[in-house]
Amino acid sequence: MNDLKKLAKEQKGSRIWLIVSSSGLALSVIAQAYLIVRIVDFVFLQQASFEVIIPLAIWLAIALLARVGFTYLNGWIGVKMATTMKRKFREKLFEKFSSNPLQASIAGQSGHKVSVTMDSVDELDSYFSKYAPQVIQSTIVPLSILIVVAIQHFPSAVIMMVTAPFIPLFYAIIGIMTKKKSEEQMDKMAIFSGHFLDTLQGLTTLKLFGRSNQKKESIEQSSLDFRDATMEVLKVAFVSSLMLELISMLSIGIIALEIGLQLVVFETITFVPAFFILVLAPEFYLALKDLGSAFHTGRGSMGAANKVNEELQQDIQPVHWGDKTLRHLTEPPHIMLDHVGYQYEEDGFELLPVTAEIPAFKQIAIVGKTGAGKTTLLHLLAGLLPPTSGELKVNDASLNEYQEEEWLGQISYISQHPYIFSGTLAENIALGSRKDVTRNEIEEAGQQAGISGFVNGLAQGYDTIVGEGGRGLSGGEKQRVALARAFLKKPSFIIFDEPTTGLDLFTEQILQQSIQTLSKQATMITVAHRLHTIRQADEIWVMEQGTIVAKGTHEELLQTTSVYQDMVNVQKRSVTL
Amino acid sequence: MKDLQYVIKEIVTEKRDVILSVLFGVIAGLTAVALFAASGYLISKAALKPPFYTLSLMIAFLKLSGFMRAFGRYLERYFSHRATFTILSKLRVKFFERIEPLAPSILQRQQSGELLARVVGDIDRLQYFFLRVFYPPILLVLVFVSTILFTTFYSLSIALILLVGLMITGVVIPALFAWKQRRIESTIREKRGKLSTDVTEFLYGFRDLKIHQKLPEKLDHLQHKSSDYLREQEREGIVERLNLSLHTGVSLLISWFVIVVGAYLVTTNQLDGIFLAMLVMISLTVFENATPMAVLPGYLEDSRRAATRLQDVEEEDSSEEQENKWHLPETEAFDIKANNISFAFPEEARSSIHSFSIHLPPGSKTAIVGPSGSGKSTLLQLLLKFHLPVEGEVLLGGNDIKHVAQEDIWAHTNVVLQENHFFYGTIRDNLLLAKTEATDEEMKAALQQVHLDQFSLDQKVLEKGENLSGGEKQRLAIARTFLKQASVWLLDEPTSSVDVVTEHSIFQHILRLAEQDTLLLISHRLNGLEQMDHIIVMDQGEIVEEGTYQELVNQQGYFYEMKQIEDSVLMQ
Repeated sequence: MNDLKKLAKEQKGSRIWLIVSSSGLALSVIAQAYLIVRIVDFVFLQQASFEVIIPLAIWLAIALLARVGFTYLNGWIGVKMATTMKRKFREKLFEKFSSNPLQASIAGQSGHKVSVTMDSVDELDSYFSKYAPQVIQSTIVPLSILIVVAIQHFPSAVIMMVTAPFIPLFYAIIGIMTKKKSEEQMDKMAIFSGHFLDTLQGLTTLKLFGRSNQKKESIEQSSLDFRDATMEVLKVAFVSSLMLELISMLSIGIIALEIGLQLVVFETITFVPAFFILVLAPEFYLALKDLGSAFHTGRGSMGAANKVNEELQQDIQPVHWGDKTLRHLTEPPHIMLDHVGYQYEEDGFELLPVTAEIPAFKQIAIVGKTGAGKTTLLHLLAGLLPPTSGELKVNDASLNEYQEEEWLGQISYISQHPYIFSGTLAENIALGSRKDVTRNEIEEAGQQAGISGFVNGLAQGYDTIVGEGGRGLSGGEKQRVALARAFLKKPSFIIFDEPTTGLDLFTEQILQQSIQTLSKQATMITVAHRLHTIRQADEIWVMEQGTIVAKGTHEELLQTTSVYQDMVNVQKRSVTL
Repeated sequence: MKDLQYVIKEIVTEKRDVILSVLFGVIAGLTAVALFAASGYLISKAALKPPFYTLSLMIAFLKLSGFMRAFGRYLERYFSHRATFTILSKLRVKFFERIEPLAPSILQRQQSGELLARVVGDIDRLQYFFLRVFYPPILLVLVFVSTILFTTFYSLSIALILLVGLMITGVVIPALFAWKQRRIESTIREKRGKLSTDVTEFLYGFRDLKIHQKLPEKLDHLQHKSSDYLREQEREGIVERLNLSLHTGVSLLISWFVIVVGAYLVTTNQLDGIFLAMLVMISLTVFENATPMAVLPGYLEDSRRAATRLQDVEEEDSSEEQENKWHLPETEAFDIKANNISFAFPEEARSSIHSFSIHLPPGSKTAIVGPSGSGKSTLLQLLLKFHLPVEGEVLLGGNDIKHVAQEDIWAHTNVVLQENHFFYGTIRDNLLLAKTEATDEEMKAALQQVHLDQFSLDQKVLEKGENLSGGEKQRLAIARTFLKQASVWLLDEPTSSVDVVTEHSIFQHILRLAEQDTLLLISHRLNGLEQMDHIIVMDQGEIVEEGTYQELVNQQGYFYEMKQIEDSVLMQ
């Protein structure tokens, strides 16, 4: 909450405007009450003629209009303030995400980040659009009323002053009492909805086992149980508003009683101030109650603000780049790893310093279990992550002496799940090139990647919309799009991260042919799991627990490395069974 | 509005709570009006220095209405919320009942998970329909009509002014904004969708964007989309404030008319001055009851959309149910035959199966192999009557599948699909699905047979079996079929994520159990198929080759070639 408060305070211009318009609002509320009272007094007690009250009626109309106008203005400023803040937060998030090199490797958390960018930022709205203006309004309006009442009739102001603190006090007490319970209930609600969804998604299974009726009953029962649990929490909330209502009603009643007594018994007050106070009293308590409900909506934003701040406060180490170029190369660059290591945040996974050499046109295969650090090594080679130790050398200069676009222009990175953007197939393939490409070039790349057969079967061909909201692509088809991108790009250094995992053998076989073609003009490094891919490599790196434990050809490793022997044996056993 | 009809139907069944919420709502609304009317009257009366007892009576009335209002509001809230949650639980059951007959075909489609998640959210969203849309107008009308009737005792013209106020705040303004809201809402949703897609692509496709140096371009896009969305949101916020302000404005204007007309009537002696304060206080208070009308259009629109979406889901299926005359034999294995069947998914241009014939005699063991996308799973789904073939016929035990009830087929088959669902609960709960009366011993034995003896029956399973690995899920699904013990087996790549050694052992066990049974196995591998009676090789929805393992190897055709690839890939 404090962070938000600070931000709201930084909006000085808006705050001044809010104070001005709230003061105007307070004035119009008071004027409205006063004018009504005067009109009633004129015609009722003083038996004045209608002409007398005409100017008063005009002033009253003005006061009413002003009241509406200022209320609207307050809301308008709030909405504008919310827009500014939301824009600011979203921009900061985008900036943070795009400069975070880890973003490339932690796609798993992307769902959360999407939700922070969309939902959490939207949830900030009510703090700035409702709560912040209401706080100012609910400070100025009751205070002004109190002052006016004090001038008119001090005892009533005393009653107001004594009773008013009970309203925020009650809100606080009840808030504390129900907060935990209602949060629990929100969690329960989410869990409950989750179970309902679970049941719906499992309908096929339920029906295959003839159990859908049984589940129907359990949906009804758990739904009713959930209702009862929710009602328990709501009851507390309702009692709280009952108490608040009673406090304000009783207070207004006490004021009315006191004024009535003064008016009739003691004759210390006249009709005009008495009626005036009576009209103002409900306005006073209403403003305080509004603050209470605004507080509830504001609190919803707090959780959201925490989530956004968590994202913004994450430490990032950007990759540094220089100004050297890599143009006019006649052959792929020569790459040297000189004690290159990487450690994810403190106590996180560590890739121990690696020293290795990748000469031009060489084909390297990396093998190892999940979690051995293979992908981290690939990310370092691609320049997606900055090494935390050692140096990555390209053609005898450190990688970070080159321009970013020069290096990225040289490489292709094809992972197990290439991303397909929403758009046409042609657009997705064209992603591979920085220049404008012709349809011919795209089709040629498609041809080389072995995708043309599939595309020709589509009614729209290369203009078929794919990705989100478009036609779904199978794993093999996605890989082929990624390969087509690479054919278009003509990289000199290709990085493959288990591109064929999860594909059936026949699809893989076809992909391998395209990969072979692609590798003719480039250096290639592949994380592989199939023996036949591994065997073709010029050099195999065996990785285990964050380090390269052995390097060599297939035959060499079979002789020397027991980890490698085991791996080969497992694959062989699957054939003989 | 038509889509909301069945929601209304459910509301009507909760008569008691609905009536109680309206009753207490009216009491709360009216006592508030009475309270302020009385206070206005009290102060005027007091000004005339009346006998003290009349004042005491008035004050007592004041206090009483204060309490009644507070308690009335409490009870109104209590009953209306209880009604809401009861209605929701009924809607859930109703929806389940309606969607149940559509499974599994509706669940076989792409993005069915997303669809269902939306549905669950939509049902939750309907909670506001009763609370914010259905009964506030009833309350409003009752409170206003009573108040207006009361004022007619004092002045007809003031009663008329209040009536006009009711029409404007209760009908005209909400209608005006309902229309506007609908338009803004739909653009907001569209802009939000666009931004959300872009954010998703930006984050999930980050590496591809980075490598292809398209990040700055995408970032630029994002800023634009974000601005578009913010602009619409801002427009909505301002319209919302305008709506509220207009609402307040009109009620204040009505009060202004009340006071001016009232004053005129007093000066012309058509109204006793003592009632003027009372009437003014009434008009200032009664419009509080109209405030919920200002937010009604938004909620109505929201509910309407939710209800329409729910309706859409239900209407998606149109397959007419045939008369089911024929029943499958209780225990013995029946044969399965398909004659020249073809099938295409509605959204696909190409058919996934064409002119396909197959015969599985009782007690036979058949395997189907072929590359992914060759139509193997579709064939299995046709044999299970998830869909009906567009052409040709499927015969179960010699009878057309059209005349066999889906439930009957499923009760007599052991099925393992590629995706098997596991429910939130325990391993035991999930196994009991297959056989309600299974003992712990039976279940443990089944677990052991699939090499899952490390699982305890009480082990927790999360929604969709999220905490289980792919291989564990497949093995649990097989364990369920072991408990079910039907005599026809239809298995779709049941062990594709299980390691070879375990796969081999489980498969031997299946063959032992299914010795007398009809078995169809869709296999992702060719090794181990020597034990099958018959092997069918499929590609692009057609049979390429068939025969025994030895025959196919001897033929040196497609199967042989595939086998070579498999061996070479693995052994080379």
